[in-house]
Amino acid sequence: MASWPQNPKLIGGRIPRLDGLGKASGKTKYPSDVRPDGTLFGVLLTSPVPYAKIKSIDASAAAKMPGVKAIHLVVEAGGTLHYQGETIGGVAAETEEKARDAVRAIKVEYEILPHVATEEQAMAPGAPQIMNGGNVRKGREVANPKVDEAYRAADFKLDSTYSIPVITHVCLESHGLTVRWDNDDHMTVWASTQNVGGVSGELAGAFQIPATNVHTMTEVMGGGFGSKFGADVWGVIAGHLSKKAGGKPVRMFLDRSQEHLTGGNRPSGTAHIQMGATKDGMLTAMIAETHGTGGSSRGANFPLPYVYFVPNAKRSHSDVYVNGGDARAMRAPGHPQGCALMEAAMDDIAAMIGIDPLDFRIKNLPPKDFRTPIYLQELELGAKAIGWKEKWKPRGQNGSGTIKRGLGLGLHQWGGGGTTDKQVSCTINPDGSVEVKSATQDLGTGTRTILAIITAEVLGLKTTDIKSNIGDSLFPPGQPSGGSTTAPSMSPPAYNAALQARDAFLAKIAPALAAEAQQLSLADGQVLIDGQPKISWKDACRKLGMGSVSVTAGALPGLSSNGVGGCQFAEAEVDVETGVVKLKKIVAVQDSGLIIDMLTWESQVYGGVIGGINPALFEERVMDPGSGLMLNADMEMYKLAGASDIPEIVVIPLDTPEMRARGVIGVGEPPTISTAAAIRNAVSNAIGVPVNKWPMTPMNVLDALAAAKQGKA
Amino acid sequence: MLETEQKPPNNRASRRDFLRGSGLAAATTVLTGRATAAIEEARAQDSEVQVLSGEIPLKLNVNGEEKATVAEPRSTLLDTLRNRLDVTGPKRVCDRASCGACTVIVEGETVYSCTTLAVSCQGKAIETIESFDTGPNGVPYAFHQNDGLMCGYCTPGFVTSCKALLDQNKNPTLEEIQRGLDGNICRCGTYGGVFKAALAAAKTMKGA
Amino acid sequence: MNAFEYAGPTSPELAVKAIGRSGAAFLSGGTDLLNRMKDYVATPSRVVYINDIKPLAGVHASGGAMSIGAATKLAAIVHDKTIEAHLPALHRATAEVGTPQLRHMATIGGNLLQRPRCWYYRNGFGLLGMKDGKSLVRTGDNRYHAIFLTDGDALFVNPSSIAAPLIALGAEATLLGPKGERTIAVEKLYQVPKSAADSELTIAADELLTKVTIPRIRGKNATYEIRQKRAYDWPIVLASAALELDGSKVTSAKIILAGVAPIPWRSEEAEAAIVGKELTTESAEAAGAAAVSKAKPLSMNAYKVTLAKVAVKRALLTIAGKKYWEEA
Ligand SMILES: Cc1cc2nc3c(=O)[nH]c(=O)nc-3n(C[C@H](O)[C@H](O)[C@H](O)COP(=O)(O)OP(=O)(O)OC[C@H]3O[C@@H](n4cnc5c(N)ncnc54)[C@H](O)[C@@H]3O)c2cc1C
Ligand code: FES
Ligand code: FES
Repeated sequence: MASWPQNPKLIGGRIPRLDGLGKASGKTKYPSDVRPDGTLFGVLLTSPVPYAKIKSIDASAAAKMPGVKAIHLVVEAGGTLHYQGETIGGVAAETEEKARDAVRAIKVEYEILPHVATEEQAMAPGAPQIMNGGNVRKGREVANPKVDEAYRAADFKLDSTYSIPVITHVCLESHGLTVRWDNDDHMTVWASTQNVGGVSGELAGAFQIPATNVHTMTEVMGGGFGSKFGADVWGVIAGHLSKKAGGKPVRMFLDRSQEHLTGGNRPSGTAHIQMGATKDGMLTAMIAETHGTGGSSRGANFPLPYVYFVPNAKRSHSDVYVNGGDARAMRAPGHPQGCALMEAAMDDIAAMIGIDPLDFRIKNLPPKDFRTPIYLQELELGAKAIGWKEKWKPRGQNGSGTIKRGLGLGLHQWGGGGTTDKQVSCTINPDGSVEVKSATQDLGTGTRTILAIITAEVLGLKTTDIKSNIGDSLFPPGQPSGGSTTAPSMSPPAYNAALQARDAFLAKIAPALAAEAQQLSLADGQVLIDGQPKISWKDACRKLGMGSVSVTAGALPGLSSNGVGGCQFAEAEVDVETGVVKLKKIVAVQDSGLIIDMLTWESQVYGGVIGGINPALFEERVMDPGSGLMLNADMEMYKLAGASDIPEIVVIPLDTPEMRARGVIGVGEPPTISTAAAIRNAVSNAIGVPVNKWPMTPMNVLDALAAAKQGKA
Repeated sequence: MLETEQKPPNNRASRRDFLRGSGLAAATTVLTGRATAAIEEARAQDSEVQVLSGEIPLKLNVNGEEKATVAEPRSTLLDTLRNRLDVTGPKRVCDRASCGACTVIVEGETVYSCTTLAVSCQGKAIETIESFDTGPNGVPYAFHQNDGLMCGYCTPGFVTSCKALLDQNKNPTLEEIQRGLDGNICRCGTYGGVFKAALAAAKTMKGA
Repeated sequence: MNAFEYAGPTSPELAVKAIGRSGAAFLSGGTDLLNRMKDYVATPSRVVYINDIKPLAGVHASGGAMSIGAATKLAAIVHDKTIEAHLPALHRATAEVGTPQLRHMATIGGNLLQRPRCWYYRNGFGLLGMKDGKSLVRTGDNRYHAIFLTDGDALFVNPSSIAAPLIALGAEATLLGPKGERTIAVEKLYQVPKSAADSELTIAADELLTKVTIPRIRGKNATYEIRQKRAYDWPIVLASAALELDGSKVTSAKIILAGVAPIPWRSEEAEAAIVGKELTTESAEAAGAAAVSKAKPLSMNAYKVTLAKVAVKRALLTIAGKKYWEEA
């Protein structure tokens, strides 16, 4: 088994990302910035209605409009559109303004079908059925035989319903690509993607050419969060448009409303939870009936029970189909929903029992899980950082006047392991330059930088000495960036390639230094003989003569692992007259094995927290039952936190020798999972009343307060 | 007349109409003295209104350089910069004045270029992120060092807002920084790095 | 956005001249109009750009009255020291509008004359949000809609944060049309549309708003806005109050709410409840309760009744200097 260096110089340090200055100075070209010579502007035509058959479609007038170079339709008369925003076709024109005009000039006649846009509509008796087999697909019930009995016998019984709505990814760079046919069977593609290989593969398949003939490049990209794994139908349309326009480059990116409507979303989750516990705070039973929607064709399942040990559980889940855009993976798919629903119930039953919710959680951690000791360490760190002991009070007892204060927490878990079949090449050139390459990509996660750090560590160089080339489908096969798998998949081959390149390099220059290769080592930009600096890296490289050293290597075992925990604490203030929630502080404690770059690692966790603050307080896809349209497909009424909404956020890595020994584990997803749960629990703790609907808007908070008042009256 | 090779939309000839300034007197009589004076001044300069349509030649002063292009009256400043002048620092994200990714500085003040017509910016000084100092005293450098970016797509907008803020307020508090950046949205959630970067940049800019 | 003709006149008169035909629109900061044009909710065939017309911009004080040119940027209003000192209701409301960039662009004229933000309107269902003759709003997502006049068909809310303080302060609007100039109270800019063909604005298509004038103010005034996000967000409810006081006794009151009705909502009930009373926490509370005594919320927005009550109370207690809450 391989292992990482024991006393690294770079690994674990705070190293600014290699591509940071280019991005921060506006100089780096994103896929949506690229404009090769002769670029035509593509605009997508998408469905303006939620559910319809196409009676007729006529693009002849559009084709004649000035500046229009190509039109391509993917739906014909007789075809069905299942949601607002579903792709119909696209236009390429000399200017974007003209392309938009032409898209509007495509005449489509719709035969409107009765829609179901909300889950309530879809589940109502007599609802129009939009799916063969019905709008509601009930999964198999998983049940422990004694669960009903255990619930009945419990000292405390919770019976509540919780729900968290659909949110969308809102990648700031929308989905899309620029594509050019270089000749009859070669394409060049600049794609905003999490998967350069996937884009090449999909386009190659669509146009029946070898995948190696599709050169996809993603030097940088503006966010994916799980939603950008392929060329997508609009990418294929762009390919057709380019072909029809004689191979001219066609730039095709979704507009903001299309991005909301068809660029992917995170399914909703609703759970009717019955939970039983003993007087001394042990969970005994949990019965959960859940449903959610992943749009017109996708599922909406999520893990439940979550994290804690429930001796007797029953779960049944239904996927609900609506005339809405289809779900795509989004940052820890399913977990934020499962976590929110579970942790809300945990807090509510803890309040019934009258037990400190932190103690309650500790008591109910799964006894045999490898994560339990990790959670215990993390909870201790987090509780200390938020001041749990000093500040926590039972529900509704904190704060005077209209401002109430509360604390809440949530635990989460994730995999974050990698694959072992990816490769990195490492090339040492006679001029001293070093290049690593792989067909993976950097979503802003820092992939490019960690490959350079690892290489520099092995070669005794600075991170900035390494040219880290990724985001190119022609490079050695790299990891698609999803599931927090990129760092654990790519770090081991990067390390292996650097080790092998180093050894080959030293073997090659040893004769020139009149030494045996075993005597040589590398440190601080020097080649050492028997531990003594002998010659600078650059001079040593010159001894390579004409030939570079180049190695392509795969993973070594033992350098990465899978499985993380993590917990978050929130402190909130709620104005009980207005229902406005103000966050004071969030503490995020996270393990993820060996951390390669602490600076970008912290950013990932910090960003994950903000990715949780948004659905906790603001985010919600609002579907209109009457028209079947999404009412807030923008960035104004689809609300996201801005600078003044950000509280103090404390990020604490569980960075211990034991954790480091586990090797690299991904961190993109886990830190976003439990934030919305912790915030909801802090809000409920503050106001003394459970708020069972996310987000924690004035409407939902005041409605919860009003309902509680009515219940009491 | 306009000299352009491209054809205007709807095959309509590009044209300029001139509305004569005659018949003005009736209206001006009811104006305040102040306004009347200004009108007189305006009339002296320009007693007719030019009406533009179709494709029109535009001259924009971008980062101190005169740039010529052809656009339409409806072309936004952002689309003109990005699609026609290859100035791609400003990004198009919401296209509706609500995210800040397209922020540029026009006549010294930050505006959303997605919601500004290019034609109305002629004769005005337009500064984009491309003109900022990228050295150790500049705002971009501070963003880089403090990891005030992840995917970086929102970053040019944040950097531009931040630079404009620091030009006006050399010594901002954290709260002032937050207020000053409230017109920008980051989806990756880099706000912490952004705040640190703004504070650091304020420090070095003062030192410099 | 459809193609249009563009005119950039240099004087208000030329602007009126240039607009003189149907299907034309004035373009000021553009932050409302261009958004609607991009969504094809507005499709003017001509756009008359007025934002660079010098005489239309600027804040001028004379004899205690204040006049603000229609093309004055919100940022200029926020930075005006006289307004900050004497018209806190206006200062506060303006400072809370949008974002720094937006306040560099948006003008007071455009703010007063912006069209509703109702998401049914913005999605193409007209001012009344109708489909097949039925109100989508009433049975749909009306969380941000009206709580007053809800027996009628106009369920959107007037979007302007600035109209409320201006009306509370007794401001007047000066309009220039082809036939000359007229001056009306700011509240008279608004009406409740009776049919989908009506506008909620009374101003004629060929009239230019040139300025608003605020008379000399004798009493005290304040605005309290309730919104969710601390970074930019629309107010859910906003209340502006202008009081004249004799000691701490209220001798006259004007209380205007935004975000609750298709027009800026003058609450005569709240005014009646506070006039003649000492300005105390109890009387402010009573005025808040009176303000919503006739509210009829829709299916989702009962919470706004609570907010309207609180906004009125807090606007009054801001004047009294009795802030019992924490500033957001
Ligand atoms: C993200 C965001 C948040 C916002 N938040 C708020 C908020 O909290 N509170 C608030 O009040 N507003 C808010 N707004 C709206 C904003 O304040 C208005 O869009 C702005 O004030 C309009 O001014 P403008 O100069 O840009 O108007 P324009 O868009 O140029 O014009 C608006 C309308 O008025 C007409 N018009 C403009 N000037 C004149 C004139 N002088 N005479 C006749 N007609 C004229 C135009 O023809 C057009 O129909 C927000 C907007 C955005 C995008
Ligand atoms: S793109 Fe202009 S503000 Fe969002
Ligand atoms: S860094 Fe990705 S959106 Fe801000």
